[in-house]
Amino acid sequence: MQMNSKQWFAVMCTVAMAITVGCSSLKTPATADVAVSNAAVANAAGADGMEYAPAEMNSAREKMALANKALADKDYKLASNLANQAEADAKLAQSKANSAKAKAAANALQDDIRVLRDELNRPQ
Amino acid sequence: MKKTFITPSLLVIAALLGACSSAPTSTSLLEQTRSDYRVAQSNPKISSYAAGEMAQAGEAMTKANRAAEKKDSAKEVDRLSYLAKQQIAVTQEVAKRKSAEADVADAGKERDQIRLDQRTREADQAKRSAQIAQGDAEQAKRDAQIAQSDAAQAQRESLEAQMRNADLEAQLAELAAVKTERGLVITFGDVLFGTDQARLTPDGLRTAQKLADVLQKNPQRSVLIEGFTDSTGSAAYNQELSERRAGAVQNALQEMGVARDRVGMRGYGEAYPVAGNDTGSNRQLNRRVEIVLSNDGGKIMQR
Repeated sequence: MQMNSKQWFAVMCTVAMAITVGCSSLKTPATADVAVSNAAVANAAGADGMEYAPAEMNSAREKMALANKALADKDYKLASNLANQAEADAKLAQSKANSAKAKAAANALQDDIRVLRDELNRPQ
Repeated sequence: MKKTFITPSLLVIAALLGACSSAPTSTSLLEQTRSDYRVAQSNPKISSYAAGEMAQAGEAMTKANRAAEKKDSAKEVDRLSYLAKQQIAVTQEVAKRKSAEADVADAGKERDQIRLDQRTREADQAKRSAQIAQGDAEQAKRDAQIAQSDAAQAQRESLEAQMRNADLEAQLAELAAVKTERGLVITFGDVLFGTDQARLTPDGLRTAQKLADVLQKNPQRSVLIEGFTDSTGSAAYNQELSERRAGAVQNALQEMGVARDRVGMRGYGEAYPVAGNDTGSNRQLNRRVEIVLSNDGGKIMQR
């Protein structure tokens, strides 16, 4: 165990460097994640997500705000995580809105058919 | 100096290792996500409508499970679980949407079919109404024709019947036939038979011949021969005598060529007298054979 303090210092420096490099390399993907997530939230809003899935939309927007804040704070990992979650929420809101709209259309058509059928079955 | 460096380093390593080993392999969110995943797996609509989304959900689920196996922090497991959970929910919604869209397509077809049925029915209805109106008119015309021909037929038949009846009455005039409610009745008096005998006298045979002639001219008619006696003698004897006398007329008619099934016979003994049995001439009236002629259809009303 002839490892002296200088050597130890060198090891710690290397570790610190590695972490710094690692952290700085998180900046680009985090920015991309936030951008993707932003687009997802916009899409969901365009698909009437606020009307059909307000809980998911609010959750997505809150997480987006937190992700942007984390990005500003250079907490890239947190920003990325929050962006991913916001994206998942936004996608769910959009899916819910779309399925609710399709369901409403199907119901309307069924009502239509019921009326037609009643008319058809009415004794003449 | 050496130790002061080693100790914190070891502590850092231990802390890192400790963080890993102390992380729970399961969180309530992970359990919830796994449960959602199983529900989605058993949903047949998902396998047919949202296979792609389900594959993504499967990948997310695997990531969360792997993190749990690696004993990552509860926070990391929850983070991955959350992403998986949301993706599973998305999968469910996509399946719902596509299922509803399929319903819309089916319902659209159904609606078109119903509309078509409706149009067809309306057209049929109009056609039927027209046909019914036409049929009614034709029927009315036919009915009128039938009524007309029926009237003509009835007139013809009544004329024919009148002629036939007039004919028959003329033929029967000689036989002194009497119209009764049972039809025409010819009476063979006592004098046409031998005393207490069932044999017809020559006069009786002549009368029978006339009747046979009438029957041969009127093949649609039949006769019923009824024998009667007065009250002299025992009832059994009188019954037998009345039957024998009726039978004698029946036999005579058969010998003269009248089919047996056209000639019915019955003896009534001393029943149905036409006069009192007090004097000889009255008793003679009671000793008789009555011959009832059927109507045109061969029917005879029984006594």
